[in-house]
Amino acid sequence: MASLSLDHARGLDSAALDALVDALGQGAISIDARRAALARFTALPPPDVPPGRYWKIDLTKQEYEDVVVQLDAAAVASSSKYVYDLAAVLREGDPDLRAVFDREFRGTLDPAHDKYAALTVAFQNCGAFVYVPAGTKLIEPIEFTYTARNAIFPYTLVVTGEGAECTVIERILLEGDAPFVCGVAEVVVAPRARVEISSVVEPGSGRIFTTRRSKVDRDARVGWSIADLGGDLVVDSLHVRLEERGALGEIGGLFFADGTQHVALETQIDHIIGETDSQTIVKGAATGHGQGRYVGNIRIHPHAHKSDASLRDDSLLLSKSAHIDSIPALEIAANDVKAFHGATVGAIDEDEIFYAQSRGIARSDAERMIALGFFEPAITQFPHALRNHIRAALERKLPVNP
Amino acid sequence: MAQGLEVRGLRVSVQGNEILKGIDLAVEPGAVHALMGPNGSGKSTLAFAMSGHPGYLVTEGSVKLDGEELLELSPDKRARAGLFLSFQYPAAIPGVTVANFLRTARQAVRPDDLPPAKFRKLIFDQLELLDMDPAFLGRYVNDGFSGGEKKRLEMLQLAVLAPKYAVLDETDSGLDVDALRAVCESVQALRAEPQNATGFLIITHYPRILQYITPDAVHIMMDGRIVLSGGPELANRVESEGYDVIRGEVAGGVA
Repeated sequence: MASLSLDHARGLDSAALDALVDALGQGAISIDARRAALARFTALPPPDVPPGRYWKIDLTKQEYEDVVVQLDAAAVASSSKYVYDLAAVLREGDPDLRAVFDREFRGTLDPAHDKYAALTVAFQNCGAFVYVPAGTKLIEPIEFTYTARNAIFPYTLVVTGEGAECTVIERILLEGDAPFVCGVAEVVVAPRARVEISSVVEPGSGRIFTTRRSKVDRDARVGWSIADLGGDLVVDSLHVRLEERGALGEIGGLFFADGTQHVALETQIDHIIGETDSQTIVKGAATGHGQGRYVGNIRIHPHAHKSDASLRDDSLLLSKSAHIDSIPALEIAANDVKAFHGATVGAIDEDEIFYAQSRGIARSDAERMIALGFFEPAITQFPHALRNHIRAALERKLPVNP
Repeated sequence: MAQGLEVRGLRVSVQGNEILKGIDLAVEPGAVHALMGPNGSGKSTLAFAMSGHPGYLVTEGSVKLDGEELLELSPDKRARAGLFLSFQYPAAIPGVTVANFLRTARQAVRPDDLPPAKFRKLIFDQLELLDMDPAFLGRYVNDGFSGGEKKRLEMLQLAVLAPKYAVLDETDSGLDVDALRAVCESVQALRAEPQNATGFLIITHYPRILQYITPDAVHIMMDGRIVLSGGPELANRVESEGYDVIRGEVAGGVA
């Protein structure tokens, strides 16, 4: 039973849903759609991440009674004129913008499988709609931030017109004792458009579930970089669909599970049609008792001939109790395809440490230097504006040796 | 305190096999000694044991640098004492730029001795001497480097760290003439320093490098022992007669 108060609704049930709609209105999503989504969330199974010797958290046994939905989830903070607060678009927005929104909203989600996206749709209480019209090429990144003090369910939609170009930086800040984030981001890339999007979960505690989806049209490109730096439990799913010839999808992912963090990342690239290219680079590290799990899918569909896909997946273990499971899956159903996969998992190479020591660098400094270097190929997938920030956050997570 | 890089009675085992059976060798400050020998004689083992590689177990003996015993020290402390090893197969460190690595190493062996501008100048001067593109500084250490590029980076580090003693392990192997010349020029420049000239132990299989650098002394190692020592003319003997003849002479007690 939800406890109703002016400030929050506790629990993730239909009473909490009613409290949310009472306080904030339906917003982009009708109460009926929300209720249907809540039912789907309850019925759908979570991703297959079985608890065992290393991964300790059972996703089938997650409890939500103490999750406190923020009824004051603020309008998204951004100074860019291309970012529209979701509620505002629907209340006062211009009809053409509203038409674009309605056309694309939830277009990349899969109601039959996306459990956590259903939860976002049910409780969506903040959001941003980024629309860059055809031919507009933006140089300055579009940035916005979602701040979770309790539970937020952010929904981000990025839509480009033909030939548009933009860089989007989406950040999630975790504050307080028990933040909870269940968010969705959809990125729709029109023909010849180019979108760079970075999604950063900043250090902090809490449970984070994110569903990230993109579809890419003819001769268009999406570059999606994700940094999962915070959260006690992170379940992050990123799918890119290359739907027309000449489409290019590039994924750069990095995570660093320290303490008792559990991070599960899944990426998928679908080459629906031929003459499409993709590149996936994921660098995951774990220290302390951190646990990681990475599933990397590449699907080259039948008739997607002359596709070119590469998957680079490296894991670094910095302590005896740290563990990362890494599962690549390449499904190739077409001909004349180039598909590359490379993976490594292990501790820091002792030869590298000795080489650095032979130059006077103490072992602990060498380990830090090499561990930070490990992430670089993923860090260079991020816009310049974010790189030093991410490097500094990673450095703070490195174990400090006596 | 006795000056020099002194190896006394060094016995070293690798994975239970004794490779070095008592090595005595001393390199005076600023001198160049060559250590030659057939493959498998233990030359690289000596280099790694002197540097403190964990895979090499010293069972007896000592290695002193200007009077300080190195064998008790970790590899990084040996480097800070003034020892440098140029690797035959340098490790790649992806994600760490050459610039970052050089700065960190220099700071480790000579903390705060050069203001940033002077350090930059040192690096750029050396890049030019070694005929290396400044773009190298942004590349990841040895990552995707050709053999020649790796050796040039070893020489760049040698020049930037300016150690008291440098052990060059088969630095000439697999190099084209230009790269070889670059290596030799680095060595000569450090050797010619009016103060604090670097002493060298050049480990080589072939006499080729010694055509460019005249050593003060040449030692020949076979089966884990130094069997013959002499002046630079010993290198010519290796070139003209080969190791087998020398091995025969040593075995027969004639040298």
